[in-house]
Amino acid sequence: MPTLAQFLSQAFNGIALGSLLSLIASGLSIILGTLGVLNFAHGAMFMLGAYAAFVVLNHSDSFALALALGALLLFVFGWVTERGLIRFYYRRPKEDQILVTFGLGIMMVEAVHYIFGGLSQRVPLPSWGEGIVNFGYFIYPLYRVEAIGIVAALLLAFYVVLYRTRIGLVVRAGIEDPLMVELLGTPVRRAFLIVFCIGSMAAGIAGVIYAPLAAVIPNMGEQFLVQCFVVVVIGGLGSFPGAVVGGLVVGEILSLTTLFNPAYAQAAIYAVMTLVLIVRPRGLFGTMGRA
Amino acid sequence: MSIWSSDNDGMFAKAKRRLTRRNVMKAGLGVGAAGLLLRSGTLPAFAEDKPALGTYPAGTTGSSVFVGGVMPLTGPYSSSGKDMQLGFEMAVDHLNNGSPITEQIATLKKGKGVLGKKIDFQVADSETKPDPAVQAATRFIRDNKAIMLTGTVNSAVSIAIEKLGQREHVIVMIGNSGSNDTTGKDCQRYGFRAQPSAYMAAKALAPVLAKQLGKTIKAAYLVPDYTYGHSVYDSMKQFTEQAGWKTVNEQLVPLGTTDFSSYLLNIGNSGADVFVNVAFGADATSSTKQADQFGILSKMKYVVPNISQFQAKELGAKVMGGTYGTQAWWWTEQDKFPLAKLFVEEFEKKNSYKPRWGATEVYVQMLVWADAVERAGSFYPGDVIKALESGQKVNSIYGEVYYRAGDHQLVRPVPVMVGKKPDQMKSPEDFFDILELVPGEQVLPPLDQTGCKMPGIES
Amino acid sequence: MSAFDGRRLARWLPEFAMVAVLIVLPFAFAAWLGSPDLCTRILIWGIFGLGFDLLFGRTGLLSFGQAAFYGTGGFVTAYLLTSGTLDNVWLAMAAGILAATAFSVAVGFLALRRVGIYFAMITLAFGELSYFLENSPLADWTGGENGLPGVPAPTIALGGFHYSFAGSWPSYQLVAGFFFLGFVFARCVLLSPVGAVLTAIQQNPERTAALGHDVGAYKLAVFVLAAAFAGCGGALLGIFQSYMPPDAFALDTSGQLVIQTVIGGAGTLIGPAVGAAIWLSLRDLLQQVPAVGDLWKFILGFVFVVLVTFLPNGVVGAIMRWLSQLWPRHTPAVVAGAASHGVDAARREKLLAPLRPGVAAAISPPLALEARDVRKAYGGIRAVDGVSLALREGAFHAIIGPNGAGKSTFLRLLKREETVDAGQILLHGADITAADVTAAYQYGLSKSYQINQLFPRMTVRQNLRIGALGRQRGRWRLDVFRAAESFPEVEAVAAALIAELDLTACADLVVDTLPYGEKRRLELGLALASRPSVLLLDEPLAGLSPAERESVKQLIRKLGKGRTIVLVEHDMDAVFELAERITVLHEGRVLAEGAPKEISGDPQVKQAYLGGMAP
Repeated sequence: MPTLAQFLSQAFNGIALGSLLSLIASGLSIILGTLGVLNFAHGAMFMLGAYAAFVVLNHSDSFALALALGALLLFVFGWVTERGLIRFYYRRPKEDQILVTFGLGIMMVEAVHYIFGGLSQRVPLPSWGEGIVNFGYFIYPLYRVEAIGIVAALLLAFYVVLYRTRIGLVVRAGIEDPLMVELLGTPVRRAFLIVFCIGSMAAGIAGVIYAPLAAVIPNMGEQFLVQCFVVVVIGGLGSFPGAVVGGLVVGEILSLTTLFNPAYAQAAIYAVMTLVLIVRPRGLFGTMGRA
Repeated sequence: MSIWSSDNDGMFAKAKRRLTRRNVMKAGLGVGAAGLLLRSGTLPAFAEDKPALGTYPAGTTGSSVFVGGVMPLTGPYSSSGKDMQLGFEMAVDHLNNGSPITEQIATLKKGKGVLGKKIDFQVADSETKPDPAVQAATRFIRDNKAIMLTGTVNSAVSIAIEKLGQREHVIVMIGNSGSNDTTGKDCQRYGFRAQPSAYMAAKALAPVLAKQLGKTIKAAYLVPDYTYGHSVYDSMKQFTEQAGWKTVNEQLVPLGTTDFSSYLLNIGNSGADVFVNVAFGADATSSTKQADQFGILSKMKYVVPNISQFQAKELGAKVMGGTYGTQAWWWTEQDKFPLAKLFVEEFEKKNSYKPRWGATEVYVQMLVWADAVERAGSFYPGDVIKALESGQKVNSIYGEVYYRAGDHQLVRPVPVMVGKKPDQMKSPEDFFDILELVPGEQVLPPLDQTGCKMPGIES
Repeated sequence: MSAFDGRRLARWLPEFAMVAVLIVLPFAFAAWLGSPDLCTRILIWGIFGLGFDLLFGRTGLLSFGQAAFYGTGGFVTAYLLTSGTLDNVWLAMAAGILAATAFSVAVGFLALRRVGIYFAMITLAFGELSYFLENSPLADWTGGENGLPGVPAPTIALGGFHYSFAGSWPSYQLVAGFFFLGFVFARCVLLSPVGAVLTAIQQNPERTAALGHDVGAYKLAVFVLAAAFAGCGGALLGIFQSYMPPDAFALDTSGQLVIQTVIGGAGTLIGPAVGAAIWLSLRDLLQQVPAVGDLWKFILGFVFVVLVTFLPNGVVGAIMRWLSQLWPRHTPAVVAGAASHGVDAARREKLLAPLRPGVAAAISPPLALEARDVRKAYGGIRAVDGVSLALREGAFHAIIGPNGAGKSTFLRLLKREETVDAGQILLHGADITAADVTAAYQYGLSKSYQINQLFPRMTVRQNLRIGALGRQRGRWRLDVFRAAESFPEVEAVAAALIAELDLTACADLVVDTLPYGEKRRLELGLALASRPSVLLLDEPLAGLSPAERESVKQLIRKLGKGRTIVLVEHDMDAVFELAERITVLHEGRVLAEGAPKEISGDPQVKQAYLGGMAP
C-alpha cells in the first residue's frame, strides 16, 4: 500500500496534470459545443504554442512575452483558419469538419517539422519558475505549482467571457440549441469566429505553459489530443465545467493509478471513460441534446 | 500504362521515368510478361554459375547495384533518420568515387563502386513504424531488386526488416537497434547488426558505474513498457546487481506517455541513490527534463544506459552534465581512430554538425559489406554472408571490426561516457567525456546465452 | 433478351467490371513497379475500406477506431498460425475475423450509444486502448512492439492439386479473390433491404426508427460487419507480408483509412480502394522525388484538405457525377409508371386498407387507442398534465388548443417517441406504455410530422419503400441476399400510394428537388406506408396553399377510411369538417371534449381559446 506521502504527492500531481488537460480540453470543448466542429488540429495548435514559446524565448527572457505572443499567434492562426477554411464547412456534414481539421493537423505538424526539424527544442524554465517547493509530505517543482495558478486564472477568465458577456451568451445558447442560434444570423457568425479563435488560443497558451516541461517536437500534441477526447467524453460535450472537471478527473486517474500499477495509467482513463459511457452516456455535465 | 502517363508535371514524370526505365530495360519484355517471369522465379541464369537467390542475379545484371535505405524521415525519430541518411549518402559517394577512408581499406582502394558496379540508392521513409518500413523494404526488394538494405531505426523495425531479408534472401545491415533479440532469439542469417546490444552496453557500463559511484547503491528505473525497454532493464539489472547494486523501484511507463510527473514522483519517493532512465528518443528528452525539474537529477546520480543521439544537444550540458551512460559511438573517438577523424571532418564540413552514431553505423556497414562482396568476388548472398562471417577484420571508424559468425553482432568498442558540465566543454558539441572505451570482445554475450539459432542461407 | 434479363444483367455489371479490373490492373502495376505488390496492398486497404464504406459512407457513422478490428483480426490470425495452435490458414483467418467481430460487438455496444462527433471520439479512444493492450499486457502473445513475424500463406490442396499463395503474384490472387468476394457481398448488402435501411439511417435516423426499423440493431450490425471486413483485411496483411505489424493498431491506421475513403469517395464501395491507390502511389512517388524528401507527408495532407474541400464526394463521386452528366440516366419512371398503372382504384383501396381493419360498421367497436391520465413534464413545466382519451376503432378525433397547450407533446407520447412520466397508453387493449417508437409502429401506430421528416436524398418511391418495409420485415432482419425491391407487396403498396398521393410524375425523383406540397403529401404517405390501424397526424396542413389543403383534406378522408385517426391541426375549418369528436387541451389539461357542435358551442372553450371566433 502506498504511504500517505505518496498518495498526497500523486493527488497533487493529478491536479497539476489535470489543470493543463482542463485548459486544452476546454478550448476543444467550446469549439465543439458552439461550432459543432471536432477540431482534430487542436493537438497541433497546442504544439504550435510550444514552438511559439521556443522562438520567443530564444530572443527574449520574458516568459510573459512568450505567453502573450503565443496567445496572439494562435488567436490569429485561429482567425485565419476559421475565415480561410472552417467557415466553409459549417453547412457541410459534421464528419467533413472532422476530416478537414484532421488534414490541417497533419499539415501543421509536417510544416513545423520542415522548418524546425525533428530535434526537440530547448525551452528554458522562466527564472521565477526554477526551484522546488517543499510541501512537508513531498516536494514539487515550483514551476508546476505556478502553472496550476496560471491555468486557474486563465480558466477563470474563460469563465467570465463565457458566462458574463454577450458573446458568452451566444456561445452557451449555441451549445443548447445550435439551430436556433443559426437562425439568428450574422452576430452568430462573429461569435463563431471568436470562439474558434479563443479555443485555438487556449490550446496555444497551454502549449506555451507546457513547453518548458516536455520535449518540444512536432508530434507533441498527438497524445494530448487523444487524452482531451477522453476528457470531453467524460466531462460532457460542449460543457465548459465538464471540460474542467473532466480534465481534473483524468489527471487524477493518470496520477493515482501509478501508485498501484504504473503501466496501466493510460488504460485506466479508457476504463473510466467506458464506465461513464455505460452509467451516464451524456458525460458528467453534458446535455443529451447534442450529438 | 499508369495513371501518371498523362501527367505533365515534371517532378512526377521524372520520378516515373526513373522507375519504369529500370524495369523495362531489365525485363526487355512486354507489360505482363515481366511480372509473370518474376512470379515463377525462372529468370534465366547468367554467366556466373551461382544459383538464383533473392535478388541475385536479377539485381546485378546492370551497370549498377541497388541499395535501399529504410529510414525515418518523419515522426519522432526523424533526426536520427536524417543523420543516417547523411552517413548513407557519404558511404555511397565514397564507394563510387573513392575517398581517403576507402584508401585505407585494401579491397576498396579502387573506389569505383563494388565489383566494378556503381551503387545506386534510394531512401524511403519508415516513419519509425514496422508496417511502412516493411512496405518500403518490400518495394526495394521486389521493384528495385535491391541487393542490400540498410538503415532501420528502432528494434521493432529492425527485426521486422531482418526477417523480411531472411525470407527474401536479401542482406540487411541493421541500423539503430539495441534490443538483445535482434542478434538473439530473432537473429537472422541475412541480418547484421552494428550497434552494441543492450547486454553489451550494460556489461560495459556496470563496472564503470561501480567504480565511479560505489558498490552499495540503490537504483530506481524508469522503463518504457515494451520489449526493448524490458530488454535494457533486464540487462542493466543483471550487471549492476552483479556489481553489488540493489534495484529498489521500477516504473513501467506505457507507450506514448508525454508527462512523466507521476512516475518521477514515485522514483523521487523511492529512496534510491541512482536513477536509471531507459526511455529513448523524445521520451528520454521529456523525462530527463522533468526529472531535473523534480529535483531528482540533483538528488540522485543519473544513468542513461543508451543515450539517444541528440539527447545532450536537446537538453543542454546543464542538464546532461554528470549523466553516465553509453552510446554506440561518440565523435571524440576520433582522437583514437584515424578513420573516425577523417569521417568526422568531412561530415562536419558537409553538414555543419558532428555525426552521431547512426551515420557511422550505416557508413561502417556499407564499407564492411562492400569489403565482403569484394572478398567474395560476387554479389551472391551466400558468398557475401560467408565472407561477412569469416571473422576478417576491417579497418573502420570504430577501429578494426568484424562480425561474430554465431550471432552477426559487430564486435566493436563500446564507449562508456559521462556528460560534461557547460564549463568543461571545449566546443559546442563536446558534451561527453569518454571514461572508458570497452573492447567489444569483453562484453559480448556468450553465444549459447544469446538464444540465437542461425537459419540457413537458403531457408 | 427480355427487359427483365437486361435489368438483371445491369445488376451484375459492376461485378463483371470488377473482375476485368482485377485481372488487368496488377499487370499495369507490375509493368510500372516490377511487381503487383503495391496493387495487393491497395486491395488490402480496399477490403478494409469496403466495410468502412458501409459504416461511414452508407450509414454515416464515422469511426476513428477501425484499426482496433484490423489489428485484432490480423493478430489473432497471426498468433494462431505462428504459435502452432492452428495449421490451417483458412481456419485461422476465420478465427481472426470472428475475434474482430466479437470485439466490435462490445465496442459497438458502448460507442453506438452516441452518434456523430461523440461516436468518432469514442471509437478513437477504443482504438488507442487496443493499441495499448497489444503493446503491453498482451505482448506475450502479440510480440509487443515487434509484432508477429512468420505468418504462413494459405494453400489449397484438392486431391493431387496443390497451390500455395506465397509470393508476389499468388498473394495478389489471394487478396484479389477476397476483395472480389467482399465487393460482391458488400454490393448485396447495399442492394438489400438492409442497405436501404442503412441509407435511411444516414439520412434521417429518427424517422427510420419511427418507421419501424430498429436503428440501434442495424447500426450495430453494420458496425460488426465493418469490423469483419477490417479483420479480414488485417489477417490478409499479416499473410501477405508474412509479418503482422503492431502499428496495424495505431491511430494512423484508422486515420489513413478515413483519408483514403474520403479521397476516393465515401459511399461508393470502391472509393477506399481508389483512395488507397492514390495515397500509396503518391506516397511512393513523392518519396522518390529528391526535392520533396520528408515533405511528402505535408504535400499529402495538403492534397487531402484540398480534396475534402473541393471534391466532397471524392474522386469516384466526381467521376460518377461527370459520367451521369455525360450520359443522363434515363429515368426508370416508365417501368415504375407501368407498375402503378396496372393497379386500379379498387385494388389500391384494398392494398392500402389497414392491416388490422377497423370495424367501422359495428355499433360499439372496441377501443383502438386509449390514454389514461398521461403526464409529462420538462423541468418545472407540465407539458401534459393528466390527459385521458379513449378512441374506438374507426374514430376520427381531433385535438386542438392554443400554442403550448401540449398537443404535439401528447402526440409524441402516444407515438412513444418520448417516455411518459406517469399514466398508461393502450393500443387495441395492449399496454404499450413501455414500448419504443419502433415497436409502436410495428403494432400499427403511425404518425405524420408537423415538420417533414423525409429521406431527402432518396426518391419518392424509395422513401415509401422504407416505410412499407418496416411493417413487412419487422423491426430487424438480416436479409442481405435479397433485393430491397423484391417484396411484391411492398412495391404494390408504394405504387398504390404514389398513385393516390398524385406523385406519379415525381415517383423516381430525389425528394430534395421536390416542391413543398409534394413533400407534404409524401410525409402523409410515409405515415400510411405501413398500412397503420391508428394514424396520428401532426398539423398535416401546415404551410400548404388553400388548394393544396383541399386536396390533402380529401386524401385524409379517403385514406383514413377504416383507420383510427388523431388529428392535431390549427386550421379550425378543417378540424370541424373532418373530426367526429374534438378534445380541447389547455395548459396540458383537457378543457373540453365532445362532438364538433358541442365544442363550438361550449362557452368555456370559446372563452379560453376560440375567443368568439368559432364558426
